[in-house]
Amino acid sequence: MSKQIKVSIQHLYKIFGDDPQTALEQVKGGMGKTELLDQTNHVLGLQDINVEMADGEITVIMGLSGSGKSTLIRHLNRLIEPTAGQIMVDGDDVMSFGPEALRKLRRERMSMVFQKFALLPHRTVLENAATPLLVRGFNRQEALEEGRKWLDRVGLQGNHNQHPHQLSGGMQQRVGIARALTSNSDIMLMDEAFSALDPLIRTDMQDLLLELQTELNKTIVFITHDLDEALKLADHLVILKDGYIVQQGEPQEILLNPNDPYIIDFISDINRARVLRVRSVMDRDTSDADACVAEVDADANLESLIALSNGDTNLSYRVVKDDQLLGVLHMQELVRALVPTGAAEDGVRGKQ
Amino acid sequence: MATYDFIFDGLGLRQWCGEDTKTTMSMSDLLAQRKGAAEPSIWELPFPSLDNLNDACPAIMQTRGLTSGLEDGFLGIRDSLRVVVDPITQPLSWFLNGALELFQTVPWFIMIPLMLAVVFVASKSWKLVALVGSFILFLAFIDHYDYSMQTLAIIFVCSVLCVLLGVPIGIAMSRSNALQRGIIPVLDMLQTLPPFVYLIPLIFLFSVTEPKLYGIAIILYAIVPVIRLTDLGIRLVDKDVIEAADAFGMTDRQKLYKVQIPLALPNIMAGVNQTIMMSLAMVVIASLVSAPGLGVLVLRGIRNLELGVGLVAGLGIVLLAIILDRVTKAALARVNTSQQQ
Repeated sequence: MSKQIKVSIQHLYKIFGDDPQTALEQVKGGMGKTELLDQTNHVLGLQDINVEMADGEITVIMGLSGSGKSTLIRHLNRLIEPTAGQIMVDGDDVMSFGPEALRKLRRERMSMVFQKFALLPHRTVLENAATPLLVRGFNRQEALEEGRKWLDRVGLQGNHNQHPHQLSGGMQQRVGIARALTSNSDIMLMDEAFSALDPLIRTDMQDLLLELQTELNKTIVFITHDLDEALKLADHLVILKDGYIVQQGEPQEILLNPNDPYIIDFISDINRARVLRVRSVMDRDTSDADACVAEVDADANLESLIALSNGDTNLSYRVVKDDQLLGVLHMQELVRALVPTGAAEDGVRGKQ
Repeated sequence: MATYDFIFDGLGLRQWCGEDTKTTMSMSDLLAQRKGAAEPSIWELPFPSLDNLNDACPAIMQTRGLTSGLEDGFLGIRDSLRVVVDPITQPLSWFLNGALELFQTVPWFIMIPLMLAVVFVASKSWKLVALVGSFILFLAFIDHYDYSMQTLAIIFVCSVLCVLLGVPIGIAMSRSNALQRGIIPVLDMLQTLPPFVYLIPLIFLFSVTEPKLYGIAIILYAIVPVIRLTDLGIRLVDKDVIEAADAFGMTDRQKLYKVQIPLALPNIMAGVNQTIMMSLAMVVIASLVSAPGLGVLVLRGIRNLELGVGLVAGLGIVLLAIILDRVTKAALARVNTSQQQ
């Protein structure tokens, strides 16, 4: 399954301070974040970031606050200028863009959804949703028509003429998403888009996003500090810490083979049975497929399988996807996968 | 002999000081001469000011020289200054004359309903219309209608010009920190200088009969709040919204007109309210330099000690102030409710 690379970031550095270029040399020479701050009073924002984002996938960038994730996403449309590095979108070098080309990129190829919604408070919901097209100078009627379409699509049929402050947080963010969709860009940047919402609404919005994604196949870059959210949405997960990438890859892969105590810490709290999928723990050897009691979908999570088996660990299941036999799942393997990664003792938190 | 002789003698500057060639004599010189030269005690040591040093050394100028020098300097550049400033400010005279003419020639039975209509459009409140109506009718009833209209005409012209000049200046300030640093001291000075002080050079520049004389004085005094609050308002616009505007590729112009100005509007309106109130305050003082209106009556009250005339005119000014304040605040409140965050 080789997908086309839509956005690629190579060797991206961001250093905040008066003289970032000198500081950059020091960082490349191996100086760490704390030393740099102590000795030169420069803040190392991002350090040697290399990420490739495939077309039509959701790339989730996860990290705690201060890890540089919001800085990173703002480099994609150059709201923040990098100190060094390359950003390619559809093979075009974004760093070579002049102001006009950059504006065109922001107008037509990338849209953004913000943590604090950032709607225009003096405009109606409909005008807000139509903003990207109005900015591009579309005929007003046409723009509003498009805005109306997307507002309806995100479930805001009756609120077109209200002002943003009359809506709840969840509804405001729906407007934010509608606004991003109206621009009809291939790439959507979502900066902690659901972090300001309460948990139930957040789940709703995640479902909405996944539903929209199956239909629209956008390239989505999603920032979050919430691992559950990251695992739910991600096709490709990038974990940031102090400005560098700790690990990136398929979420299941990271979950089963974490390579850093920081990540082990992160994943020690989650419900593995709900997050892990059958395809990640199955046995690809299909020779004893006949001994299986039933068929299960490759993307089903382990929790559903435990329910299906009623807790009987002697059973095995055929794993299928699109009517194709992929492997066999032994319940014993499943239980083994549920064993925590020995987090607490090795991890940072365990030492405290 | 003067107190500070020893300094110049000690430094060997006696030669440089030269002989006392003073021909004019100040009052204190005269008094000192009368008293006779008693040896002064240490307790009476005078401050080494220009005048006292001049006593000891005539080469040092007197304080009188400073003020007269300023005056000569100003008079020296006055003519060339006038060549530049006069044509630039001439439209102001036209506007003021035009507005005064207009406000007074339109008959009262058209003017009053017209004003009430404006109040309604601005405030959408019948209660306020009733209040304003009763105030204006009262003023007209006690024969202060013409004076009030003159005052309103001047305020109208000056406030409009303040907004037209002040908002762009405020916008420019909000975009450049250097400009802001440069302009803020000027604004501080305009706000703290007693208004009489900048009337003085204006009187020298223009003839007292020209309306632009008081027009400039009012505008200088009243433009400050609208500049300050425009600057503040635009700087206070939510950074997230500005970022969103950037992210969707707005040009600077789109950002200014579609995001920054609309979102700064409550602050700008507050500035306009202040500007109007300050031009009302100044229009009274400006009656000293021939501004017509209620201020003339106040001035008459002071000059001729006509207590009643002064007090009634003062009441008229208060009523106008209430009208202007309430109407602009009502308009401001309407802007506010339409864009709560």
